[in-house]
Amino acid sequence: MTTLRILAPGLRSTIQDRGRLGHLRHGVPPSGPADALAFEAAQRLVGNDASEAAIEIVGLPFRCALDAPRLIAATGPGVRVRTRGTVAGATSVFARGGEEIAVEGSARFAYLAVSGGIAAPERLGSRSTYLPARIGPIPRPLAAGDELPIGPARCGADRAGSTITLRVPDGRIRVTSGPHAGRFRDAAAFLSGTYRVSERSDRMGTRLEGPRLGAAGGEILSVGVLAGAVQVPQGGDPIVLLADHQTTGGYPIVAVVVAADLGLVAQASPGEALSFYEVRVEDAVRALREERRRLDAIAL
Amino acid sequence: MPPRLVRFGEAALLVELEQRIDPLVAARAAEMADRWESLGLGMAVPTYASVLLRWDPLALGAAEAERAARGILASSRGAIPFRGGRVIEVPTRYDGPDREDVAHASGLSVEELVRAHTSRDHLAYFIGFMPGFAYCAGIDERIVAPRLASPRSRVPAGSVAVADGQTAVYPADSPGGWRILGHTELVVFDAVRDEPALIRPGDRLRFVAL
Repeated sequence: MTTLRILAPGLRSTIQDRGRLGHLRHGVPPSGPADALAFEAAQRLVGNDASEAAIEIVGLPFRCALDAPRLIAATGPGVRVRTRGTVAGATSVFARGGEEIAVEGSARFAYLAVSGGIAAPERLGSRSTYLPARIGPIPRPLAAGDELPIGPARCGADRAGSTITLRVPDGRIRVTSGPHAGRFRDAAAFLSGTYRVSERSDRMGTRLEGPRLGAAGGEILSVGVLAGAVQVPQGGDPIVLLADHQTTGGYPIVAVVVAADLGLVAQASPGEALSFYEVRVEDAVRALREERRRLDAIAL
Repeated sequence: MPPRLVRFGEAALLVELEQRIDPLVAARAAEMADRWESLGLGMAVPTYASVLLRWDPLALGAAEAERAARGILASSRGAIPFRGGRVIEVPTRYDGPDREDVAHASGLSVEELVRAHTSRDHLAYFIGFMPGFAYCAGIDERIVAPRLASPRSRVPAGSVAVADGQTAVYPADSPGGWRILGHTELVVFDAVRDEPALIRPGDRLRFVAL
């Protein structure tokens, strides 16, 4: 079996697949990639199914080597791959066995996919990693020297050079109205304000600082929540839930970021400005369908 | 108030049954979640009095999803109690940092507080917040325990805690705002077990003082 050896792991890189949806009712977060569309783009570029696993890199640069030639691709805003020469990101590269593969750039979340996928064993029905509860095939940040098994190749060198054009973010994020929007005295303040991404953001959520929001009627009974929900704790600073979010929450939810834009929120760096505007649910579905078409165009 | 269906983004609906903690309401939410999942439309997350119904928006339209949700809501009318609950004993050492504050606020001695917490079974309503965290309600009405104004950054695994009429065992180290009465060695979540969460909705927790 082909293996991938980690040479320099970054800070908190993990194995992720599409997510672990089967244990939400046991309180287990979905996990999966923080930027699902970037993850899927990497998978498509190497011919993988979206259900296969790839590496989510936090803290570039990242270096690794394969013991056999394989098609690889890295995605994430501003990410590039260096093997024999530097190649822009979001482009498939045929890596030789033994050569060093470096993923560079400054993306908060970068994805490295290898044709055949990371064939590590499933845990609770998924290969995703949830670090806080140490769930996953390697339930800790990846470390130098780790050897990851790679599944049978899905395609070969003839697919090298495939590429996808990623959206250029402009800091404007689409949301639909949240289930508790009516409880907010100032829901409009969320839409008219500019927020800055807090240092304390992580895979659980992107924390925002800006106009503070207040809900009337005090605490709510806990409800099931999902990635994209903009919840507002007592302090009034909104949090956009990401892949490692708690399965239930007792804070009112003012808005829900559309799936097509959630990766843009996850990728925003501390200090970066974000503003939000409301669209209808139908627009949110249309936006997602557009992203899907962009990915489908990769299939060669 | 009749149940409300509320949009929750493009891929989910929140069905709010009521706004109160009641075993029959929570059991209905769990029942609706089972039915939704058995239709194969997506996953569901029941809580005290609501259920989040999720689907793939590229595979199912919002109108169809809403129709299916209304169908499930209509067919789950009436009282469906939790079935097959077990009694789970939780051996507890009542040595938690908040036991004296809670006793004081409740007008009880620590001994009386322990007796109040151990003298009845507590129904598990749903699992949420973190892997294996079972929300149990119906604690002795004398116990006064509002959430901490400022949550602790680390509550140790096994902490037995109370807040706002509820009690729970923290499955792992976690930030938390509930008041800690004691701790147990019982492992309530283990990712390598076939059924990782020890406590299921409908079970009853019986705390036993060590």
